[in-house]
Amino acid sequence: MDDDYYSIDSILAENQKIQCTFKVDIPDLGHLDGGHERDIKALSKIQLPLWMTYILIFSDYADFTVPAPFSSRVKNALNAECKSVRLSALVGAGASWYAFGKIVMRLLAQDAARDMGAVLTTAFRERLLEVIDQAQHFAALGHIGGAGQSNDTAAAFREGLDATERELFALAQDSARSTKQWYESTDRGRR
Amino acid sequence: MALPPSLRVSFSPQELELIACEELVEIIPLIAMEKTAFISGAYGPLRPPNKAKVPLWMAMNLKLKKKCHIVAPDWLSVEYLQDKLLQETNAEGFSALPLRFAEMSKVLLDVAAEDIPNSDKVRSLLKDIREVRQAKSRDGLKKIDHIELSLANLCAMEINEIRPFYTRAMDVLTHLARSPIADV
Amino acid sequence: MAERDHALLESEDALLQSASPLANGLGVTDTPLQQLIRQWQNERYAPEILAGHEAALNVLLDHIRRQSDTIQHLRNDPGSSEDEHFRIMLAQTEIERVKFVVRSYIRTRLHKIEQHARLIVDTPGLQGRLSQTELNHAQRRFAKLTETYFHMSVLQALPEDQRGLDDDAAFVPPMIPEPNRSHSVFVHAREDCPPVPLPDSNFLTMRKGLIVLTPYSVIEPLLADGSIELV
Repeated sequence: MDDDYYSIDSILAENQKIQCTFKVDIPDLGHLDGGHERDIKALSKIQLPLWMTYILIFSDYADFTVPAPFSSRVKNALNAECKSVRLSALVGAGASWYAFGKIVMRLLAQDAARDMGAVLTTAFRERLLEVIDQAQHFAALGHIGGAGQSNDTAAAFREGLDATERELFALAQDSARSTKQWYESTDRGRR
Repeated sequence: MALPPSLRVSFSPQELELIACEELVEIIPLIAMEKTAFISGAYGPLRPPNKAKVPLWMAMNLKLKKKCHIVAPDWLSVEYLQDKLLQETNAEGFSALPLRFAEMSKVLLDVAAEDIPNSDKVRSLLKDIREVRQAKSRDGLKKIDHIELSLANLCAMEINEIRPFYTRAMDVLTHLARSPIADV
Repeated sequence: MAERDHALLESEDALLQSASPLANGLGVTDTPLQQLIRQWQNERYAPEILAGHEAALNVLLDHIRRQSDTIQHLRNDPGSSEDEHFRIMLAQTEIERVKFVVRSYIRTRLHKIEQHARLIVDTPGLQGRLSQTELNHAQRRFAKLTETYFHMSVLQALPEDQRGLDDDAAFVPPMIPEPNRSHSVFVHAREDCPPVPLPDSNFLTMRKGLIVLTPYSVIEPLLADGSIELV
């Protein structure tokens, strides 16, 4: 989630593939999708990594399909019950749904990009409160525990966090823990 | 490398405590000391039983060696804190408390509880105040965007605790809000 | 003996002189230690390297040296009284505190300088913020060191036109990382501040005492004159 050249996370995020539909014939690159054709024919669909797609789309050689993690089905689910959506299931463990979405945004035309930005931002802000609540709760508990049925929903939510949200969870938890430890520490024995 | 990762996003509570210990407090010295030049200023003379103002770190040092009593600051009293707790529960926003009240009160109660009237009650009031304020700071999270967020009267330790994830969340929102780079 | 007793006192005037407030543009006065503590906090929170405060730093290092010397004398003096013992102990405690702040301040700057060594080397405007020692470190040692390391481990095996470390290609972030000046910081207004523009075309006007969370780039102009501090 940054614009750092050396960011491993960004490099990995850009390795994700999206489906592109070529508008023109491209000779001799048929091997790109592992196919047996020598050339790419116009209108054929190929899965390509994002880093390759920028220039193809901006040069108008190809169109792309908005990838599954940002389909209308997902958008509707987010609208209905944002916190129930398992973002980690959409992009795979360790990946960031938001980072992926932001990269896809760069490929979209202005209006579509703005809409997508709104989807990402809204989802992030609504889920953020729950992320932090749980993190602070865990810092207080010190371990996985607690009784009650709310525990299952909470656990499900945690499993559904994407990489960006997990990072925030860890930041909040660490911070709460070290502050709490400080409040409980004493200097009396020291001198 | 030069700075461990945890310190790149925040101060440690211990560092905040160090900063807070520069604040002046009143003591009743039990030993005499000539006026002395320290790096942060000149302190003393200490002439028991006259009160004197010294930095908190010095007061703690003396107290631990049983060489002084602490005069509790005005704000570290049951009356003051009860009033603040009332303000916190009845009004939106955070009540005004000394910026470093969390650090100073922790240090004073830890080392000089006997010099603080009703120290148990004071401790419990501080805890209540902290909890009410923490609940309120959740509301701040709801309003967070990539532009600005006003957090009047938040104190140093509270800011420090929320800093890592507040700033990271804002960074994410800034990143999402940035208009796509048109590189053609 | 008497003269030693007063060792901690005789330089009092001199110390008071230099411990006395350094006026800043606000007319609000700070001791060198208070100044350094404020600068330390600013430096920790700001995403880019700030102007160094060599003056205050040197004053404090000087203090530390003189206090340490005085303490040495007094400790070696067999006639020191119990009271003297106390003052020595307090002076030593304070020295450790100040040294901690100084060290942490310098480490914080070092961390940022190393992160952006190449950028600093290429940007004269930034170089003015570093002390000579820091500049030497950035130029000779760190930028050169990293470059050599990249070259030896990877770049020399690549075609010649792929060996650059300062490319700025389309669709790719620049190879020379820049500090993230949009990073958010908590700001405390020490005085009423003039309005500054926000990213959404509104303005931010901070009254004295206000605490705000906002991108660093928004408040950067106010940081230099001390009307705000980062908390």
